[in-house]
Amino acid sequence: MRDLKTFLQKFMQNCQNVYEPHEDSELLLRCALREIREEDTVLEVGAGSGYVSYFLMDRCRFLIATDINPHAVRCMRELGIDCIRTDLAKGLKGKFSLILFNPPYLELEEWEKAGDWIEIALNGGKNGVEVAARFLVEIKELLSDDGRIILVANSHNLKHICREIERLGYHYEIVDRERLFFEELYGIRIKLKL
Amino acid sequence: MRRSLLDILACPLCRGDLDVEVIEEDQEEIITGNLICKECGELYPIENGIPNMLPPELREKV
Repeated sequence: MRDLKTFLQKFMQNCQNVYEPHEDSELLLRCALREIREEDTVLEVGAGSGYVSYFLMDRCRFLIATDINPHAVRCMRELGIDCIRTDLAKGLKGKFSLILFNPPYLELEEWEKAGDWIEIALNGGKNGVEVAARFLVEIKELLSDDGRIILVANSHNLKHICREIERLGYHYEIVDRERLFFEELYGIRIKLKL
Repeated sequence: MRRSLLDILACPLCRGDLDVEVIEEDQEEIITGNLICKECGELYPIENGIPNMLPPELREKV
């Protein structure tokens, strides 16, 4: 069985320049564990250390993860996760029944931009929604007709993300939330409008 | 990368199918090689077992 200790050992050996799992990663894993079925073909976009995929990969037919950060894909490979290095889901084809994304959702100020891989993992652009919005456009052709997307949002970008979801003709439902000290996190379950 | 992954990879530029050129592989997977687009000829390297599907203009930038 997969355990946290094995994950942490592998992560510690490869963790430099990779976003460390936080409450948002935990929330995505929790939502995905409730959603995943044995017959699912799963795609995790921007999977970082692989924390979420690591605990899901034995629970579905197939799982592939992506990240743009070369350190992150190396970390995932060490964990035995099938992964590719790319921007969001570029270079993938076919249909997936469960797609997961914990996007960069902070609107960083100039002084907060470190110019490193962690900045790319955090920086969601204006209103913290730019990367999530691009994901929602690009992912449509990879989602099976009855497939589900789980997307993480926070109190700052939620209304902007929901507006994008509706504009692009998806259905959505907020399926989980977690109150933190300075923000609230949300798990959004998204489907195609048929 | 496992060979079966080829079924779900496509050229990020033109969506073409990919040929694989293996330089090194073990029983389970391709360790080093190239994925080559059958349509536009663009090349995507496989290094340390991981395919790099970044479009060429991004490969230089990030």
